[in-house]
Amino acid sequence: MSGRTIEIKGRKVWIMENGNGAPLLYLHGFADVHSVKESWLPFHQQLAKSARVIAPAHPGCAQTDEDKDIDTVEDVVFAYLELLDALELTQFDLVGTCVGGWIAAEIAVRHPEKIRKLVLIGATGLFVEGALIGDVFMNAQPEYGSSYATLREMFFSSADHPIALEMFPDGKGEIDDEVRRYQMLRLSSRIGFKPPYFYNRPLRNRLHRITSPALVIWGENDNFVPRSHGETYAKIIPNSDDLKIIPGAGHSVQVEKPEEMANLVMDFLAK
Amino acid sequence: MKPVQLFCWHFMAYPYLDKDFDEKEYSGWVTVPNKLWDNRKARGLYQEYIDQLAYADELGFDGMVLNEHHQNIYGLMPSPNMIASALTQCTTRGKIVVLGNLLPLHMNPMRVAEEYAMLDQMSDGRLIAGFAPGGGPETFNYDVPSANTREKFWEAADLIVRSWTEDGPFAHEGRYYPLRYVNLWPKPLQKPFPPVWIPGSRSPSTMTEVAKRGYCYFLSSRSHGGETHRAQQEFAAVLEKHGDKYHPFRFGILMSTYVAETDQQAREECEEGVWYFLKNCLKGHLRRVGRQLTYGPGVPYIPAAAWREYLKHYKPGQKLLGDVENWDELDASQSIIVGSPETVIRRISALIERAKVGNLLIQFQLGNMPDHLARKSMKLFAEKVAPALRQQSLQQFTQEFPGVNVEASAEELH
Repeated sequence: MSGRTIEIKGRKVWIMENGNGAPLLYLHGFADVHSVKESWLPFHQQLAKSARVIAPAHPGCAQTDEDKDIDTVEDVVFAYLELLDALELTQFDLVGTCVGGWIAAEIAVRHPEKIRKLVLIGATGLFVEGALIGDVFMNAQPEYGSSYATLREMFFSSADHPIALEMFPDGKGEIDDEVRRYQMLRLSSRIGFKPPYFYNRPLRNRLHRITSPALVIWGENDNFVPRSHGETYAKIIPNSDDLKIIPGAGHSVQVEKPEEMANLVMDFLAK
Repeated sequence: MKPVQLFCWHFMAYPYLDKDFDEKEYSGWVTVPNKLWDNRKARGLYQEYIDQLAYADELGFDGMVLNEHHQNIYGLMPSPNMIASALTQCTTRGKIVVLGNLLPLHMNPMRVAEEYAMLDQMSDGRLIAGFAPGGGPETFNYDVPSANTREKFWEAADLIVRSWTEDGPFAHEGRYYPLRYVNLWPKPLQKPFPPVWIPGSRSPSTMTEVAKRGYCYFLSSRSHGGETHRAQQEFAAVLEKHGDKYHPFRFGILMSTYVAETDQQAREECEEGVWYFLKNCLKGHLRRVGRQLTYGPGVPYIPAAAWREYLKHYKPGQKLLGDVENWDELDASQSIIVGSPETVIRRISALIERAKVGNLLIQFQLGNMPDHLARKSMKLFAEKVAPALRQQSLQQFTQEFPGVNVEASAEELH
């Protein structure tokens, strides 16, 4: 394991780093390192072949200290601005998935000059009329006392996908994984439960401030964040490619198609 | 010393569901389709329920209990204060216990302070003020983010009590409810302030906060095996740690009962209402069937370290109260005590004796139980059961808690 704890303004932040090359800040989502797994997933390992991948755990996730004063996504953005200063990261590639994609977009609209290239994968964050983001919280309450099938369905192309079953098993999983999942839900409830759900209404009108080239990627069958959110990101971010759809994948597209996704992202970053 | 205090709790269930509700509908909470509400049947329902509570007052119960729920068939009191207000006008003796207002659901806790102060004045000092944080379903109903609920709750509770006791105007510089001019009109009648009851489910942190403030702890469990006794011991230990002493009126429990002339008659008369309650009203709350919303990772109230502790003992798919399959299983849960006056005396006495509990909050009307049966059971309880419980408990409490003067600690009227 390549993780370490750094202390920033009296708070512990857990970060993992892997690879050499240009710095790539990776912000995690629900089915991911820090929010389920302790170690890197294949997608990150692929990226680390050509970049220095830096993956911090969000406030309250994994071994990062919880911050009770986090009420909105902006508070998380400021936590990351502190981290960027501590790591002396002035220019970097920014890749965010799911809730991490939302945080990435929020950082990018505030500090476009820091971002070399931006990749958003199944990102939450936008309000799109008539296309509500799914209710993770209700689906995290098991059905029949033990089934997380509807949660898996939300995060993956199918509730029976082997990776889905491994990351969100029925009943009681490995306790450390369970606790990481819980921590991610707890952070998410701070920033994403109200307004319902996982969006910041003003974000859309700020996206034009992003100056870096951007790539927006969505799984074909995303049951958590409707595709229209990806279309909106790709349309409004000035330097964005067209929305890239990955056939046969669900919301956690980088988990389901790690090879394909890593190649896509690396090509974009190398372009 | 005083005997056990016997309260009549009404939940005000929606009683007109079809027999195939459980089969057809996914939940009785939050998403239960409101097209099932039928005005042709429901007209007059609130009056029927209010009249039952007024009848409890007539029968000599020590008080009436109400609580707050939203968007469900289990309890039709989104605003218990409205029912409490009606009770101030049609009852004269018993306490009016609102257990409680769900503080995090209010934009401004002063609204609760004001309404409770009004109720205390309108009832001539009969209010017992309950504050509750609200469980999982209410989180979904009102979109209350879970992580800070407890902190928010205590800030609100403390602000309310401060507004009752401290002269205004004063500024409240709180984290969640900053207010420049706190200046309560009217003030409550009871001094220093109405008794405060707080529900909890054995979490040490809630017990500690209750102990620090000298409030009454109410165990919000519907089952009474060994856990009730353990909760009492835990709370007594917490009080001790805070330089306070346990006595039976620091503690309350919820139970349900049905009394009839004989054991067999009791079971026959209440069974329909009981199963309606267990299978319909608890679906979404205390049943694993469908989706239970009350507790779990989707409503992450407790810190991660506490969740880790919880997981160590958690067995997925375990039966909850509403999952009982037959009468014997239900009987063993000690949740709903059914029988002749003798049986009910014996079983409730045993519970009081063991759990040393001074406040019994008793639900009589269950599910779709018809008015006449609920009243018959209440009357038999008041006439045949209550006297024995009072006598036995007074003897027990006097022996076990010598030197405790509960009269002196009772609130005085100004």
